[in-house]
Amino acid sequence: MTVLAPLRRGIHMWQEVNPRERRRWLTAYAFMSLQLIGLFVFILGPLVVSLYYTFTRWDLIAPAPKWVGLSNWEHVPGDQRIGQVLGNTVWFILWATSSFLILSLALAVLLNVPRRGTTLFRALFFLPYITSQVAVGLVWSWMFNTRSGPIPVFFRHLGIEVPNLLLDENYAMIAVAIVATWQALGYGITIYLAGLQGIPGELYDAASVDGATGWQRFRYVTLSLLSPTILFLTVTSFIAAFQLFDLVVILTGGATGVQPGGPGGSTRTIVLYLYEQTFLFSERVSGLGYGATIGWLLAVLIFIVTMTQFRFARSTVFYLGDDER
Amino acid sequence: MRLPTGLTLSSTFYYGLLTLLALAYLVPVAWVVSTSLRTNANLLRADQWIPDPITFEHYTSGLQEALPDLARYTFNTLRIAGLSTLGLLLSCSLAGYALARWRFPLRRLWFYGLLATMMVPGHVTLIPTYVLFRKLGWLNTPNPLIIPFFFGSPFATFFFRQFFLSFPRELEDAATLDGAGALRTFRSIVVPVSKPAFVALGVLHFTGMWNGFFLPIIYLQRKEQWVLTQAIRSLLGRYDSPWGEIMAGVVLMTVPIVILYLLVQRYFVQGITFGGIHG
Repeated sequence: MTVLAPLRRGIHMWQEVNPRERRRWLTAYAFMSLQLIGLFVFILGPLVVSLYYTFTRWDLIAPAPKWVGLSNWEHVPGDQRIGQVLGNTVWFILWATSSFLILSLALAVLLNVPRRGTTLFRALFFLPYITSQVAVGLVWSWMFNTRSGPIPVFFRHLGIEVPNLLLDENYAMIAVAIVATWQALGYGITIYLAGLQGIPGELYDAASVDGATGWQRFRYVTLSLLSPTILFLTVTSFIAAFQLFDLVVILTGGATGVQPGGPGGSTRTIVLYLYEQTFLFSERVSGLGYGATIGWLLAVLIFIVTMTQFRFARSTVFYLGDDER
Repeated sequence: MRLPTGLTLSSTFYYGLLTLLALAYLVPVAWVVSTSLRTNANLLRADQWIPDPITFEHYTSGLQEALPDLARYTFNTLRIAGLSTLGLLLSCSLAGYALARWRFPLRRLWFYGLLATMMVPGHVTLIPTYVLFRKLGWLNTPNPLIIPFFFGSPFATFFFRQFFLSFPRELEDAATLDGAGALRTFRSIVVPVSKPAFVALGVLHFTGMWNGFFLPIIYLQRKEQWVLTQAIRSLLGRYDSPWGEIMAGVVLMTVPIVILYLLVQRYFVQGITFGGIHG
């Protein structure tokens, strides 16, 4: 009944108010109309239909989806590839988000001084972020090549022979994480800087007067007051990392002579698996149905992880001027 | 010199460190430019950071040969990025404005509904929308990458709502007293002073579409509909690839975006930090 409560309240309001107020409501709905149509046609509708697809088998050739009950969902626990895919994605998320969150914080702290030239440095660090993942992937796949790539060549000068990381099952995903971090740093720096600039300078002075060391000032002033920013970046970078696709396809498909997701499936991500199951005709489990199941699995995982982060944040995130609550 | 965190650094050391970090960070960028300017004979020379001789053949004859329809792909990309940006700004600014300004029945429901769907990854809705567009005969047309944006996007609507909330309403009240309709007030009073929001969001979205790859490979499989990312990716061969041309293509597709950001830089930084702070 609670679901209908706002609706009933709406009808009630409609009957109560004067005509001028009603005209304003109509105007408001006219302004909202495009977005509301979109909400139903492109988001809520497809959400429901996609849930329905998870109970069907369909290859797009048959005229309509065929109901198969829970068979797609039952297939998930026994699907070895989905185990591997989840492992790969988690492995990527751990490397990419931790290095992103830490390195961009370090650089932002370094750039957060009223000094000439810091704007230029900020702009330089921002460059990769506005570049296409396709372009970035192409460049880095060539960076890792053992014949002339700067990375293997640099280590060769130090007397260390490194293999092409992208061709090594144990390191390929870490290589992808390095590239993803490299690309995203500028964004992290920009957001952290905005947070850092909101920290009143007096707090540092007060901490110094109280005898806090440099590390303590960083730990108890900077990190505490930055915690809402850290939460925002943690949540958004996890969500983005869960959806890794473009970069992996370019880094591991084509240039290095293997199918995307290689070597040995070690870089196949959830979204890449979804793509293969839905749109590639080989090795399908049940076409669209299984693709939709993977999509829902992804959404549920993102939901659980995000909620856990917010829950954890309740006890750790500190908002300035929030004492009353 | 002291960093606010209490770390003390000499000025020389500070700039030395920053320069070193920036140089290391930009190695891949230097590598792209360097590779794109080398002759084919020097392509695999690890020691040639400054190409000798410098050649522009990859940018001219090389790319022309490798991608004869480059102009076509550029047009396709511009059309998708431009029109979808237009649609997004139109539909979301109107909705965001209504949510920020007026009280009306179910307003909270729509607002929280939109907020909740922001967390739903596009991959869940992808398959049904694909089926829908297929039914409409939109595969291998730019429509799937343009039309949906004329019907809003939760994030952009939320962004506009937050922006308009922080915006004084006295100006509009004056216009309304003059008898101007809501749409006219919006167009002639609100939009002109909200340029930063429109520019920031517009650039963000335009760049996303310009750089996009996932949706194009799903919807635009026919070669004449390709966008730039697909075209450049197609140069990768299984065993051998024309790296000079690929790097020239990477430079060419990145430069317009860099120029765009330089032009709107100050709006943009306001724009993206906005979400992080007020979100």
